[in-house]
Amino acid sequence: MDAPRSSERLLILTLERYGVWLRSGVVFPCSALGIVLADVADTPLAMSLLLPAVLACGVRLYALRRPLRPALLWTLDAAVLVLTGLSQPVLGGDGANVMVEAVVGICVVAFQYEWASRPVAGVGLAMVGVVVCVMGDVLSSPGQSPDAVSLVRMFVQVSLSRAAYLMVRARARAADRSAAARAASRREAAVAAARRATEREYLATLHDTASATLLMVSQGDGRDWSWLSPRARQDLEALSAMPGFETGSVDLAALLGCVPEGEGPARVQLNTRIDGPLVIPSGPGLAIFNGVREAVTNVGRHAGVRQAQLRAWAEENGVVVELFDAGRGFDPQSVPARRRGISGSIIGRMHTVGGSASVTSRPGTGTRVQWRWHGRARPSQAADGAQVTGGVPRPHRVQAQHTAAVRLIRGQFLYGAQLAVLLISVVWQFTVSLRRLTVHQDVYRPAWAQTAAFVCLAAVAVIGGAYLLRGRQIPPRTRGWSLGSVLAVSAVCAFTLPPEQATGPADWAFGVVGWHALFLLADLRARVYAAFLGAHMGLNATAVVLSGAPSTAESAVMGISTISACGFQFSVGVLVTRLLHGTAPAAGTAAAREEELRTRERIHEHMQRDHKKRYRALTATTVPLLVGLGHGALSPHDEEVRLRCGVEAARMRRLFAENDAVSDPLLNELRACVEVAEDKGVTVSLAVRGQHGEVPVEVRRELIDPVTVILGRTRSTARLTVVWTPGAVRVSVISEDCADDSSTRQNAQTHGRATDSKVNVARTTRGKSVWVEASWRRPVAGGVDLT
Amino acid sequence: MSDNAPVGVVVVDDHPAILSGVEAWYAASRRPITVVAAGASVQEAWTAPGDTADVVLLDLQLGEGGPAFGSLRRLVDAGRQVVVYSMRDDERTALNCLDLGAATFLTKSEGRQHLVEATLAAADARPYMPPALAGALGTNTRPGRPHLSAREENVLIEWFQSESKELVAQRLGISVRTVNSYLDRVRIKYANVGRPARTKASLVARAIQDGLVDVDDL
Repeated sequence: MDAPRSSERLLILTLERYGVWLRSGVVFPCSALGIVLADVADTPLAMSLLLPAVLACGVRLYALRRPLRPALLWTLDAAVLVLTGLSQPVLGGDGANVMVEAVVGICVVAFQYEWASRPVAGVGLAMVGVVVCVMGDVLSSPGQSPDAVSLVRMFVQVSLSRAAYLMVRARARAADRSAAARAASRREAAVAAARRATEREYLATLHDTASATLLMVSQGDGRDWSWLSPRARQDLEALSAMPGFETGSVDLAALLGCVPEGEGPARVQLNTRIDGPLVIPSGPGLAIFNGVREAVTNVGRHAGVRQAQLRAWAEENGVVVELFDAGRGFDPQSVPARRRGISGSIIGRMHTVGGSASVTSRPGTGTRVQWRWHGRARPSQAADGAQVTGGVPRPHRVQAQHTAAVRLIRGQFLYGAQLAVLLISVVWQFTVSLRRLTVHQDVYRPAWAQTAAFVCLAAVAVIGGAYLLRGRQIPPRTRGWSLGSVLAVSAVCAFTLPPEQATGPADWAFGVVGWHALFLLADLRARVYAAFLGAHMGLNATAVVLSGAPSTAESAVMGISTISACGFQFSVGVLVTRLLHGTAPAAGTAAAREEELRTRERIHEHMQRDHKKRYRALTATTVPLLVGLGHGALSPHDEEVRLRCGVEAARMRRLFAENDAVSDPLLNELRACVEVAEDKGVTVSLAVRGQHGEVPVEVRRELIDPVTVILGRTRSTARLTVVWTPGAVRVSVISEDCADDSSTRQNAQTHGRATDSKVNVARTTRGKSVWVEASWRRPVAGGVDLT
Repeated sequence: MSDNAPVGVVVVDDHPAILSGVEAWYAASRRPITVVAAGASVQEAWTAPGDTADVVLLDLQLGEGGPAFGSLRRLVDAGRQVVVYSMRDDERTALNCLDLGAATFLTKSEGRQHLVEATLAAADARPYMPPALAGALGTNTRPGRPHLSAREENVLIEWFQSESKELVAQRLGISVRTVNSYLDRVRIKYANVGRPARTKASLVARAIQDGLVDVDDL
């Protein structure tokens, strides 16, 4: 089985602390009381027994902070029991009997929580407790048989404690399970979002670097290529750099100070005015920087001016960067979706990091590009990596998730606690209380009143239990009536019982009404419950006092009984409050932290894998080209090199088009390749026949790649067709004058053949004409034989 | 009609540039083709001298209205051989025209290579299959379409893709003649399931007479 998750783990921890403190809270005062009450002659012996017991409790308390070996702790716990039991005959008297019984009774209950995760140890200690009680009784009053009733009661208490723990733990596990399920789906979403964001960033980088460079090489001849080698090397670096978690901050002012102005005829003189420093997180900082770089390149390419103004300033909790040129301008609406300079490199990048970018332009009025980024207050937990998951304002979402998780855990804890307390109420009422009621019928005045009270209390439990077991909360009115009934039961029982019997063996009600009330009040703060217990004790005290003041000894016994019953109940009330308002939020926070950690691990894993995959896809084709260009082994004056660059540029254009939301992605990607060819001056006719259908992305890659290669090498005219039959999709290109293709043939076959997607490529040449067809059998029914 | 007799054509097209282009192509034909009448309205085909032309060359998109399917139907019903010559390059239009009984369907971008041959074929009631039409027939999924063999379908598609019978023949390892016979057979099959019309009957009759198809095939 898995290790306990946050709710269960923290539940166990809280219960352990509760157990230890409860026990210490009983052992310390009782020991002190015992030493004080002991005869002077017995004091040294009592002290030598009780002081080590206190000390053992102290060590256990200390061990809450610094865990010790369980075996040692168990021995200490057993020692407390044995020492307390041994002190019973030493102290002597009724008071000692009641006190020791109370201490051992509380201890064995406390051990069930202290050792909740080691039930054998808990049960072992309970048995030690039983032995100690028997031993104490035998030693202090030899000849008398031990009190079987109190032993049975102890057994009931221990069983109930364990049962209560198991019930609450079951709910904690349920909470953990459902939280884990939710977390898993959220994690998938976060991972997917991060992967998409990285993919977008990667494509934007590719667009600005390798794609732009290769396109320029493919289109140009006889110009100054001196800039090419360093640029190709830079591109290579940009491609191999792993995108992703940039942490820390950057000074945007410093970054913008080194925006490249371009080379040669495309150089743009920047008139820069920056009110620095502008320190922002590095994610948005780099997005703005990369966007500005691309925008400056655009000015050089399209605006027809050689100057631009770059300004940047701080705005409340953010920055604004603006690039303006007085060039020829354009209509942003008319830019085709497949042109990615603006949509991907400038706007898309800013969206990814939670900022925004806008392009304002009209023909003849110049162009203004503006980037905005605003910081947001981050929550204490899970702030890191916020920029990875995309443009959604994360802190708010995290807060909402956290609240929802805490509410879930709290709900389960409450349900478990209510069930557990209900169980205790019912079992206690129908075992210990019922026995007392029947045995002492002759004591009550009148007896029917006590019987009626018993029935009334049972009714309260049944009604409340009915709501609870149907998974509903008790309505406020019912709760009010029930509480009133419980108090009435307390009053009736107090006033129809002879005062000297109060809290004694005949008083079946005193110890049990507190459980019924706790069951009703579990979701409220402990002080409400304390008020009830106060009223309950007040009623009983009033009844006792009204019929004459009790003796000191009687008061002492009553006091000890009261404390051991109500005090214990109150401690459970405090525990429930603690669980709901301390443990549940802590468990929620811990769960969130674990989730965040796991998410980041997964994201990191995926990003590394994705990056390797993407880079591998480029190593066969783009990387060798860039390496050759970067080190001068390939010359842009060589036509073959230019043709290869054109093919690569077209492949990248197709890659960029891959994520477009269009109804016919195959045609969209083909058009992206056609555009590159047309930019080179090739006439391409494109004809489509048949009803288009779904083609997986990896199949599209293989279908289109041969087309890309042929189009890239075509000098004047090509015909491109897509034929959809019910059984297949066939993409064909026929080029009337394809440049010599000794390498093409190989390329067309090797590129992108990682998948076994059954794309058939057929090739026919006749004179200068080259005809290549890539076909894929569609998985749908319909039998058209391709060959 | 004998295989070398001159052919008379009435050209219905509302674009003067197209008209003159068509006349120039016809003038270059090895077998004389005469444009007996030309105009922007279908009326030309119903009135002298156009009403006796062997072939009607019909632009489907006349004026502002939609495709002139009604005019086509009336011409076919009157027993005329109609070559539809259209800007529209989609399979729906091509299939509709064929269903209505057009002799063949040509897109305007195919004019230079195929107009003369298509006209002569129509005059002789011989089948003719330009690439755009072949693409439409090869991907036809309409109910009631004739059953084509896999080879026939493949030839149709490859002819559409390459626009070169030589390349198709080379790829399939057959002769250009065989490629043509596949295409013709498909055309006959379509004619056989099409609307009853005199043109259809003559197409099928001629095909059987030429030994293109067996009566058993149909």
